[in-house]
Formats: sequence, C-alpha cells, structure tokens
Amino acid sequence: MNCQRFETVVSELARGQMMAAEQRSEALAHSDECDDCAARLGDEQMLTLGLQSLASEMESLEAPRELEAKLLEAFRAREVVVPIAKRSSSRYWLAAIAAMLLIAISVVVFRWSNRPAEGPRQLVKQEEPKPQINDKSNEQFARDVEKPDVEDSLPQRPKPKRFHPVTPRRPEVANHVTKEIATDFIPLSYMSAASLQQEGGQIIRVQLPRSALANFGLPVNMDRYNEKVKADVLYGVDGMARAIRFVQ
Amino acid sequence: MTTGLHRRMKLKSDVNDNELLRLMLAGDEEALSVLYRRRQGSVYRFALQMSGSRSIAEDVTQEVFLFLMREGQVFDDSKGTVGAFLLGVARVHVRRRLRAEHRLEPLGDESDDDDVFMQSTSDICPLEDLTRAETIESVRKAVLSLPPKYREVVVLCELQDVSYGETAEILGCAIGTVRSRLHRGRALLLAKLRPAADVEETESSTVRCFA
Repeated sequence: MNCQRFETVVSELARGQMMAAEQRSEALAHSDECDDCAARLGDEQMLTLGLQSLASEMESLEAPRELEAKLLEAFRAREVVVPIAKRSSSRYWLAAIAAMLLIAISVVVFRWSNRPAEGPRQLVKQEEPKPQINDKSNEQFARDVEKPDVEDSLPQRPKPKRFHPVTPRRPEVANHVTKEIATDFIPLSYMSAASLQQEGGQIIRVQLPRSALANFGLPVNMDRYNEKVKADVLYGVDGMARAIRFVQ
Repeated sequence: MTTGLHRRMKLKSDVNDNELLRLMLAGDEEALSVLYRRRQGSVYRFALQMSGSRSIAEDVTQEVFLFLMREGQVFDDSKGTVGAFLLGVARVHVRRRLRAEHRLEPLGDESDDDDVFMQSTSDICPLEDLTRAETIESVRKAVLSLPPKYREVVVLCELQDVSYGETAEILGCAIGTVRSRLHRGRALLLAKLRPAADVEETESSTVRCFA
C-alpha cells in the first residue's frame, strides 16, 4: 500500500469502520513504515475521538418538555377539526349526488316531453266529469287563493268536471293541473249549468288581472292587487265563452 | 388514572415506529407521545448540531412532528425507517430556517471550502487534548463552520451514528456520495482544528510521501 491508497482508507480506519481484514492490515503496516501516514492516522483518530466526545456530550440533549405538551395539544385540536372536515366533505357528496339526480330527472322529463304525440289517443274525447257550478266551492277558493304559499298544505279537493281539449296536451301540463286548486266554473252567459254539462267545449288557460276576481264576487287581496291570477275559460262549440274558473 | 396511562404507554413502547405512526394517524394520542419521546432526541440534536441554535432546534423539532401529524401518511416504509424519514424532514426545515436567517450559503458552492480553511480557530492545537471541554467546543464550532453538504454528513455519520445507507436515504443521494462527502468533511475539520503552521507542514509532507 502506498500513501495515496492509504489516504483513501485512513478515515474509515480511524473510525473503526468495517473493512476487509487484508486491507486493514496493509494500511496498518504502511502506517508503521511511513511516519507521515502514521501522523495522518493519528490526526484522524484524534478527530474521531473529538467527534465522539462531542457526540457523547450532546447525547443527553433533548427538546424541552413543554414541546411535547404543545404537540399533544395541537394533536387534540387536529382531532377536533378532522370530524368537521369529514362532515363537510360528506355534505358535498350529498349535494353532488342530489345535483346528479336532478340533472338525470331533468333529462328524462325533457326527452319524454319532446317525444312525438300519440295522435289518435289525444284526439279521442275522454270521458271526464263535467264542470259543476257551485258557489259554495267558489267561496272556498276565494279563501284559498288569498293565502300565499299554502298550496301544498291545503286538502285536496275533488276534481271539478272539465272538458278535454282537442289540441294535444303535454303530460306535465296535465300533472300540473292535478296539483292546482280551482274554483268551480262560473257561467258567463245565460246558459244553465245543465246545458254546460251537455254541450261540452274547450278550456283555454288565461291570466287575468287579480281585480277580475271582484267581477265575479270573489274577494281581492289589495296587497297583491297588481298580480295576475290564472283562470280557465270554457268555450262552447260556437267559440263563445261559456264559463270561467279561477285557478291557484 | 395516571398509572393506567403509564402502563398503556409502557405497552406501546414495545411497538415499532411504523405501527406507532399508523396508530397516531388513526388518532391515537399515546402513540404520538411514545413516538415523540423515542425520536425527538435525535431530531432535536440533529437540528442543534446543524444550526448551533437551541431556538432553531426547538422550532424544527416542533415542525417535524407537526408535519408528521399532518402529512404522516406520505411515509413509505419501503423507502426507509421512520427515524430516517424524520431526520429527512428535519434537514429540510433546518435548511429553510438557516436560509431564512442568512446563515446558509448557497448549496454546492465549493468556494466555501476555502473559507473554512481560512477560518482556522486558535493558536493552540485542539488535537493535543480533544477530551477537554474547550476542545469539544472547538470541534463543535468547526462542525458548524463546515459547508452544509459536508456538515450534514458529518453530523449524521459521526455525531448521530447513522449508517451510510440511512444517511444516503435521508440526503437522497448515493452511498458513494456519502462516503466521499464524509471524507472531505473530515479533512476540512482537521484543517480547521490544526494550527496554520501545522497545516503547511502537513500539506508539504503529504506531497513528499509516496512510500
């Protein structure tokens, strides 16, 4: 072994690191022969000793005790935060699922409403109960129509008799009609109720000023005076308006 | 109640670091406590030996364990031990702190080596009696004055007694790099601890020796 080779192993030799026995004995033999390399090995061993002394002196050093308390406190705080985060994330999931369901339902309804109408079935006049004119139910409507946003909470009334329109009607319109509350038909001409039931005709949905309620003896909420009110007008076969009912 | 807590903690002290980390991430406070008590010393000492500042060492230790609480799931046991992982995190925080406090020169700047030679400490030769307290202090200062990339290898391999393999994991480099940096770091330390005249003599004698 020469000095250059010795230089490559002197640190590990001084540190007592694992090395091949043959290499170790060669290095020690060289240091016995070469004074400079022996001095070099001595310096490295002293440095190792110094570093070991420093390491042993610092071995007992630890972080302050209060640091553990701080960390545990932070850990507990984190434990409180986590469930909140979980809850909020589950809420987002629920909202996302609800949004997806809404979109899916909208698509289904849209496709259903756009499918071609089944002509023959729509054109056949269906057997439906004919409108009944009853002033008592009109009074009930008048009370109902002036109560805002109570549609769903009101008891379902028996469906009044009505005439099926000749024009095709979209299913959602029919569904919407079933949820509506309406007065009975109020005659607009001198025709009797009996003749209305026999004649048949066509119903047209219109919107009228709320003040029109007063023309038929129904009370008007002055706070909602400017709003519109929906009404179904019954036309006879001759195109003349026969009766009207108000719808909420 | 306190006795019960100590008993449970004693039971957990037999559990390995990986399992303690798993329990801690599942919300087990005692697991954190045991893991902290087991590993805080090496993290604190590493930060202290790297920075020379107790306040930085405390901050780094706290940041390392806070990181473990928040991001502990990133630990991959196939890549190394929890101890090495913590020292790796500590290394990042120490560097950040030192950089912030302008104590760390840009990494890989070899010109630092010359500065270290110029910063030879005192006229007395510390190598004559390295067991003395003042000489230990000289060694400590010499270590602190090393360029960071040599300092961290010296601290890990010499002061923390971490193996070459684990040091390579912590630093994210090859074992050969660790060996060469350690060799170079030790040479720089010797140069710092040796009086200037002695340096010249040794350098000239090294050139002469080809036996």
